Amino acid sequence: MAPSANSEPKLSHTAAMILQAIHAGYIYGFSVMEMTGLPSGTVYPAMRRLERDDLIRSHWEKQSIADAEQRPPRKYYRLTAAGKSTLDASRKRYPLLERLIPSEEAKSV
Amino acid sequence: MMRLVTLAFRAADHAFLEAASMLVPARQRSEWQREWLSEMWHVRRACTQPSGDAGRTECVVMAFCLGAFQDAWCLSRDARHHQGPPAPMHGSAGQCLLWMAAVLVAGYAFAHWQPEVRMARDAQRYPMRSGTILLENQSGEKQVSPTIPFQQFRVWSAGHHRYFDGFAFYRMGRQDVSAGAEAPSRWEVAESSSNLFALLGVPIRFVHAEDSAGIQAPIAILSYRLWKNEFGGDPAIVGSMVSVGGRQTRIAGVAPERAWKLPGRPDAWLLEPDAAIPAGVKGNVLAHLTRAGRAEMWADRVHITVYNPDDTEQDFLGVAFDEPTPTPSEIYRFAVLLGLLALPAITSVSLGQFSVSSHQPPWPKRILRWAYLSAKLLLLLPIANFASLDVAYCHASQHSSASEYAQLSVCFLICLFGFRWALLDQRQRCPVCLRRVAHPAQVGLASRTFLAWNGTELMCTGGHTLLHVPGLPTSWFATQRWLYLDASWDFLFAGPEAG
Repeated sequence: MAPSANSEPKLSHTAAMILQAIHAGYIYGFSVMEMTGLPSGTVYPAMRRLERDDLIRSHWEKQSIADAEQRPPRKYYRLTAAGKSTLDASRKRYPLLERLIPSEEAKSV
Repeated sequence: MMRLVTLAFRAADHAFLEAASMLVPARQRSEWQREWLSEMWHVRRACTQPSGDAGRTECVVMAFCLGAFQDAWCLSRDARHHQGPPAPMHGSAGQCLLWMAAVLVAGYAFAHWQPEVRMARDAQRYPMRSGTILLENQSGEKQVSPTIPFQQFRVWSAGHHRYFDGFAFYRMGRQDVSAGAEAPSRWEVAESSSNLFALLGVPIRFVHAEDSAGIQAPIAILSYRLWKNEFGGDPAIVGSMVSVGGRQTRIAGVAPERAWKLPGRPDAWLLEPDAAIPAGVKGNVLAHLTRAGRAEMWADRVHITVYNPDDTEQDFLGVAFDEPTPTPSEIYRFAVLLGLLALPAITSVSLGQFSVSSHQPPWPKRILRWAYLSAKLLLLLPIANFASLDVAYCHASQHSSASEYAQLSVCFLICLFGFRWALLDQRQRCPVCLRRVAHPAQVGLASRTFLAWNGTELMCTGGHTLLHVPGLPTSWFATQRWLYLDASWDFLFAGPEAG
């Protein structure tokens, strides 16, 4: 069930970090691991739960792009609208979140 | 060397991912594996040290791969959670086996509770030694009182005979028995020669090694009934002394329940050395026939003429009390064999595992299917045994031809139709989940058999398979076939939550 604007799910700090990392442009599992410092056994299950709750959405990279770079295709994640609003709510709850993982806009300022 | 270590690490990484993928629900497994393999590739590339420290790189990759187990376990847990409450057992293989187990327990309990059934089973457990006869008067009438003096028995025992290889003697009488300080009570005691139980082939419970070797002084063997009623079934009573008819006697063992099939109903047997029995007392004499002696038997009787040293003759009738009747277990085995032989006459013995396509369920499912069939047959066999004994002996007070025929026919019918049911049931079980297929639908027209397929389609309620059963077997569609449904059918079987 997608969360409404009035009833965003309260995320744990780990889930909020992952959401913030994806929002910040770390859009595949290993980059989220590197950015957050969390192990694979934490990051991937958390991303599955976020995807199940419709806060993020995944898609596979085109095979042609991967072939051109001679590597296997990656699975990318991006925030949904519900995910963005939940992240906004989480930032209020965890004020240091943005400073831990600055988003692209923040970095460019 | 380093290359070998690297290869070993890579093989271990793949093995970890493969093992973890077994936890992932089947429908998500391929995508899950694809993502983890892809990520592993990227992790290895990102961690490859410019200095060439391959060992450190492989350790990082392995740590990454170990996280796959947690991810797979979470997916598995979520899948179970989303399945909601456990599926109802109606029509499931477990429910079927539970019912069969319940029937088996009921049959066993009834057989255990019914004294007649227990008696039939005990008779089978302690059969009399084959070829043992009781010597009676030539008149052929039931012997009321013993007529053979012990002296005669002693003469027969001492000699060599062509037709006999052993004799035993016993006589019944009531005697005062006292154990310790308790008041004496009167027991029905069978005073016997020391070889009585050896000749009968009846094993004695709790017997001491010294007693089994041979006796020098009288010993007492208690009947099972007396041992239970008077001594509370205490095995420690064996070895204690009792006074039987004023003689101190050691209790040497307990006879099995219902093992005694001879005239008289003794509470105990007093086994004495031959020298301790007075020559003039009269009793019953048992004899064991040699092979030549058994050849002389007519039905269960044999006429015996004894030539005495004083040129007189005595005629006896030897009556076998162990009639060569089939035991319940022999009848049971014969009925099972008959059932198996007759089975192809009433149903096809095929399990109907043909598939429309080349797709086959994975081997664990196939093993499970065979295990289920085996479990049904294994439960069916004791059910047939106990149910046939229950029916055959519930009204018969003793072993009789009628009870034998009843056991044979009931056991045969249960085996025959039970095997048939097991095969029919197996043919209608989904090969994936072992549920019975349901919702039969008639497809096609019988009048167009040779133009198009017609028959019945049944569906697995779990959404795994469709079963096509031809209405009229043809050369191109002779037996039932399974169609394995792919994921595109899932929406039809999804629960209300998924909708």
